Amino acid sequence: MRSIDIHAHIAPAAASHLPEGQTWHGFTRQEMKGRQFLVQGDKRQWLHPAYSLTADERIAYMDSVNVDVHVLTTWVGMYNYDLPGDVGAGIARECNDYVADLTRSHPERFAGMATLPMQDVNAAVAELERSVNELGLKGAQIADHVNNKTLDHEDFLPFWSAAEQLGAMIFFHQEGDDTIVKPRDTKGWAIDNSIGNLSDRVVTFATLVFGGVLDRFPDLKVCLAHGGGFTCFGAGRMDRGWQVRSEARELGANIPSTYLNKVYYDCLTHSEAVLRYMIDSVGIDRIFLGSDYPYDMGIDEPTEWVNSLESLSQDEKEAILWKNLERVLGV
Amino acid sequence: MRSIDIHAHSTPQCFQRAVLSGNDWHGMTSADGELFNPRNAWTPDQRIADMNSLGVDIQVVSTNAGFYQYDKEVGVSTAIARDCNDEIYQMTMDYPDRLAGLANIPMQDANAAIAELDRAVNQLGMKGAMIGDQVNGKTFDEPEFLPIWQAAEQMGAVIFIHQGGSTIGSERQPRYHVRNTIGNLADRAVTFAAFTFGGVMDKCPDLKVFLAHGGGYACFGIGRMDRGWQVRSEARANIDQPPSNYLDKFYYDCLTHSEPALRMLIDSVGIDRVVLGTDWPADMKIDWPISWVMGLQSLTLEEKEAILWKNLESMLGL
Repeated sequence: MRSIDIHAHIAPAAASHLPEGQTWHGFTRQEMKGRQFLVQGDKRQWLHPAYSLTADERIAYMDSVNVDVHVLTTWVGMYNYDLPGDVGAGIARECNDYVADLTRSHPERFAGMATLPMQDVNAAVAELERSVNELGLKGAQIADHVNNKTLDHEDFLPFWSAAEQLGAMIFFHQEGDDTIVKPRDTKGWAIDNSIGNLSDRVVTFATLVFGGVLDRFPDLKVCLAHGGGFTCFGAGRMDRGWQVRSEARELGANIPSTYLNKVYYDCLTHSEAVLRYMIDSVGIDRIFLGSDYPYDMGIDEPTEWVNSLESLSQDEKEAILWKNLERVLGV
Repeated sequence: MRSIDIHAHSTPQCFQRAVLSGNDWHGMTSADGELFNPRNAWTPDQRIADMNSLGVDIQVVSTNAGFYQYDKEVGVSTAIARDCNDEIYQMTMDYPDRLAGLANIPMQDANAAIAELDRAVNQLGMKGAMIGDQVNGKTFDEPEFLPIWQAAEQMGAVIFIHQGGSTIGSERQPRYHVRNTIGNLADRAVTFAAFTFGGVMDKCPDLKVFLAHGGGYACFGIGRMDRGWQVRSEARANIDQPPSNYLDKFYYDCLTHSEPALRMLIDSVGIDRVVLGTDWPADMKIDWPISWVMGLQSLTLEEKEAILWKNLESMLGL
């Protein structure tokens, strides 16, 4: 059986192997407490040690967990939406060329998603076009907000229009610990991540639905990482809000739960009960394998985990492990 | 069959009399108190008539969350709390078979909060208190709150958690009523985490904490919280067990607006932990709560009885 993982990160070698003392788009490399960081101003981006792996070493790891294909997204340290647009565009181009090279040298094992300078929408559209049409990438990974602007802002309309026209999948993934729970996670229990990632994703679902984005761009392919977070569980209360509050009906045409099967999700739930709930809410054709390689909050043995789930049928497991991504992305 | 609702609000008549005659009330005005909702102006008689039409036997009444006023000087908040509690007490005296009460307490000052909780429970016969998810930015794992939890535990007072003011996500997405539809549920998951990861539930094993709105995203998000506990040492700083072991240490109302969500809540926390909560008279309430619970096909009759009255009857002695 095949297996295709939509949620697997990488860093361009120019960043992960940046020699000490040299700069890369304004970043220098520093070691702190045994960890490697890219540093620029007060930005400090942790370089996961797995990013120093060669392609062959990464493939050996993939073989060890029975994953055939990584749909590569760069690590979110590459977003850099706070930097000037031309700097972001330069970083994105380099990331995308690097990922595209890997997909060409190992077409059976890697597909790729683009990094985009979302702080400059015109540049983001241009880079998405180049990535999809020239480099053969499948879409792009973006954050839940761009410098505190959510993706329902009218500035992003050209972006959504281009993504729909290109057939590019847009994969939503927060930037590090920058989640809405962060201000209340003062003790470091990892809830900025464990609750925060899931909260950010339901806010993004709400933003696209209540904000009318999915109505204006009905053929848009959006994938919400981390199982879409709290989206499917929280749909009942969103529906109630839509029914009783006019501000909730201002832009979106339909009740929120009817959009659950208009977007895609990865299976990164860390809970069989939650994954079963998702399948029953959004439909089995909407869920992809997603491991969050190489992070500690990922699924350690992603294919083994899916195959072990007793509440899923064999057909459902195959849909998640490969059939859905093969169909939707042509991988 | 009986029915007891833990999640039912009031806007005190003493506040309304003051602000509607043009005066302020402890610094609050007619912009407060959710008076845009006409049912908040109803008298206790009108409340009882509506309860009759809904089939609700008992409401455990709390004020609307706008009466927390934790950012005020503690003397002002204490005066607000006392007036609120005295009025709810009078309601429970006027309708002893129909109304019970939850107190408002000035959480920004532990001593003042404990004194008012003690008065409310031991002199006024209230069942506990309703409080926010945070107090001026402080979450409930902060050591300054521990004496409150210990006092509540000793009194057998329930602590009913309900957001006040802005919620998580309000700043990210201020439109579309997301502040409420997502924010309330995210706030409650974070409060579950504060009590759990913060070690409060271990220090106060008999503390009765109710998480309104079905505990929000707590039960659905528990798998990822467990993963965080497993892989991050800082998440294990205060607790020796994974957070999922604490799900059945809390109580939850059934205000999910979703049958599958309620089914998952029951399956996650146990049927003895889920009670009727309607959010009367807010627009986000369950419109016909008894009919809704009774109509749920995935619940057994025993489960419906546990939710509608049995759990609260034994726990609160109602």
